[in-house]
Amino acid sequence: MTAALRYPRLLALQLRVSLTTAMQYRADFVVEGLMSVYWVSWNLLPLLILYADRPSVAGWDFPSALVVIGWFVVLRGILEGAINPSLVDIVERIRTGAFDYVLLKPADSQFLISTARFAPWRIIDVIGGFVILVIAFARLGRTPAVGDLAAGGLLMLAAVIVMYALWVGVVAASFWVVRLDNLTYLLGALFDTARWPVQVFRGAWRFLFTFVLPMALMTTYPAMALLGRIDVTTALACVAGALALAIGARLLWIGAVRNYTSASS
Amino acid sequence: MSLRSTARAVPQLLRTGLAETVAYRAEFVVWMLTTTLPLVMLGLWTSVAADGEFRGYSSPDFVAYYLAALIVRNLTGSWVVWQINDEIRRGILAMRLLRPVHPFVAYAASHVAAVPLRGLIALPVTVILLATTARDSLTHDPLQIALILPSLAGAWLLTFAFLFGLGCLAFFIDKSMALLDVYFGVFAVLSGYLIPLSMLPSWLPTVARWLPFRFMLSAPVEVITGRELGAGGAAQLVALQWGYAALILALALALWRAGVRRFEAVGG
Amino acid sequence: MIRATDLRKHFRVHKRPPGLAAAVRSLWHRKYETVKAVDGISFAIARGERVGFLGPNGAGKTTTLKTLSGLLHPTSGTVEVEGHTPFRREGAFLRQITLVMGQKQQLLWDLPPADTFAMNRALYDVPVAQFDATMKELTELLDLGPLVTKPTRQLSLGEHMKCELACALLHRPTTLFLDEPTIGLDVSMQLAIREFIRDYNQRHEATVILTSHYMEDVVALCPRVIVIDGGRLIHDGDLRGLIKTMHPGKLVSFTLTAPMADDELARLGAITREGNRVVVQIAEAALREAVGHLLASASVTDLSIEDPPLEVVMRALFKDGAAPATT
Repeated sequence: MTAALRYPRLLALQLRVSLTTAMQYRADFVVEGLMSVYWVSWNLLPLLILYADRPSVAGWDFPSALVVIGWFVVLRGILEGAINPSLVDIVERIRTGAFDYVLLKPADSQFLISTARFAPWRIIDVIGGFVILVIAFARLGRTPAVGDLAAGGLLMLAAVIVMYALWVGVVAASFWVVRLDNLTYLLGALFDTARWPVQVFRGAWRFLFTFVLPMALMTTYPAMALLGRIDVTTALACVAGALALAIGARLLWIGAVRNYTSASS
Repeated sequence: MSLRSTARAVPQLLRTGLAETVAYRAEFVVWMLTTTLPLVMLGLWTSVAADGEFRGYSSPDFVAYYLAALIVRNLTGSWVVWQINDEIRRGILAMRLLRPVHPFVAYAASHVAAVPLRGLIALPVTVILLATTARDSLTHDPLQIALILPSLAGAWLLTFAFLFGLGCLAFFIDKSMALLDVYFGVFAVLSGYLIPLSMLPSWLPTVARWLPFRFMLSAPVEVITGRELGAGGAAQLVALQWGYAALILALALALWRAGVRRFEAVGG
Repeated sequence: MIRATDLRKHFRVHKRPPGLAAAVRSLWHRKYETVKAVDGISFAIARGERVGFLGPNGAGKTTTLKTLSGLLHPTSGTVEVEGHTPFRREGAFLRQITLVMGQKQQLLWDLPPADTFAMNRALYDVPVAQFDATMKELTELLDLGPLVTKPTRQLSLGEHMKCELACALLHRPTTLFLDEPTIGLDVSMQLAIREFIRDYNQRHEATVILTSHYMEDVVALCPRVIVIDGGRLIHDGDLRGLIKTMHPGKLVSFTLTAPMADDELARLGAITREGNRVVVQIAEAALREAVGHLLASASVTDLSIEDPPLEVVMRALFKDGAAPATT
């Protein structure tokens, strides 16, 4: 096979393996589906309470805030379906020593590790999130303009890259710098904050969620783009931020593997 | 196993537990940091309340409520479900059954041993923040203040017993860890962890008042913040809480006995 | 060709002493110590050789193997495998080697081995025709048959190991690093795997480097052994040479038909007695005379001359080490 096609084909193969595995546990489909519905309603509860008394908070009315939550649910589906399973797997492989086999394969180790495992049933979350997005725009009584859709799509892609980079970076750091295997859980807990538009937080909180932990990049800005409320500079800054984080994560990964091969026993 | 020999074993169990906590301190701190929910809700509601009170809560009221919730959650957190599941899966549980100390005591000791470190990390900052920014939203009644510790202890016992019982379900069903997720969802809503109980819609506040979840978190928070309570009300609350703790504890131990019998029959 | 020159690998490890007081103290003062896992080892191995690494637990065998396969970066010294520097892990190098660790698996747990095979075929870019041929050969040699389509979690330990080996050899590597490949297997399975490794070595002129706790593996497979203890190389040569240097002489055993005094026997060499059966250790030079003397004696029958068993040699070799490499 040609070099250009090699990685897409490997990805397809890994996906097929995950799908085959998932098919062995078909009953999970029902359980996961019910759990998804449960958690989405759980997430909506504070929003409903808040907007029952206030028509708008920090410039966000109910349907617009619903756009943020909808995209948040999609993103979390991607996180738990396509990113987290593999990364939890690395920690386990390092513990058992099976990580050695990954390093000895003639393909990029970050690619192999990032695509090692998928949780296909999480597609339910992704679909559910898009349903919320549709409901939100139905309540707004309009469809997004074509330009907004394009900008939204671009920023959503940037959001997925940001999320992936953060998670890979944390996993690399966790077996290189701090030697802790539960850092991804911390990141997961922090990610829950991304379900709120960043503008509802003030002062230090907003700074923290925009620049230190780029939750705003992941949900608020893509939602604003879909709603046609973002300016070009912010949009470009988001894309630049995503690229910078991706490069940073790559460097961290290379450093971590180099350290693994010089320090582990 | 006599009560006396158990009592003799407890100090060593506590020492070992404390040594473990210290040894895994970094992991420990990370786990504590994952309790971000109250802080996020705090950030959210204080921003909302900055435009005017929300359902009777001012900005300092929210600060008091969620910081108190953070303290209670950190002091009463339990990982016993995870522990039991892991030990069954790895076949270590059988070893535990051979020791002459009831596993409930052993698990409880390892949890109690973690409380000092948890307190050391969680308390200083939160208490200072409470005292400086939300003084007027806290109780000033000395009798009610005296009830804070018993209500915290009651919340700890109730939470631990409940989760111990939940952990015992691992003897009967394969995927009992999934139940932990469900539990957390229900707990967060009905204990006042996500939102103060009085703010829940329609009939939920009435139901939540009488379910055990309230006494795991909301009760001590109510005692600390003193909202519409008074010393008499606080005493009633704590009495009810300890009643619930005793009941749940009895149920959990019965579940354990049934589970172990099944475990012995099937051989794990 | 594999060449290691003055290879060293040191680790810095954190000491976590037991007890609460020590644990609290280690909050401020962390004690580190340097472990010299491999401490100045040199050897050269030609293409097609079968070499056994021997040594007690923690001697540095696995560390050496990992350094040769490119998983570890040497602290100092140089390593070269078939013209490559292992730790760079270039594609061309990785396609030539394989590492099998008896205690670590690479097969996907929930799926049949065939799925992992397909994955490795893609990873190593093995052409379909070659893959099919290799698969056919491996299936025959390892007697895989229906195993490859059963979920891995349902395989027995031995079946699992056979599939792990097949998986590791699908890309037809010419350098095999085998770390305890027969650990935990029963005798007949050990025998099968041993035969397979020898066969693979001869068919593909592959270099085989093996560590094992089972002395029989090494005796049966490796004409050459490298003994490592405490991170240092203490013997490199054939087994016979190892036995000679460690344990000069032969063991002469015979049965007594009439009683004979111990001190008369002891003149010949060190003796051990079990009822009528006597074993005497006799130096090579004195062997001819002593055996002649014994055979001439009317009270000796059933005499045999043997090399000392390798276990005994190894035990002597590691007498101050932790555990001798025997089972």
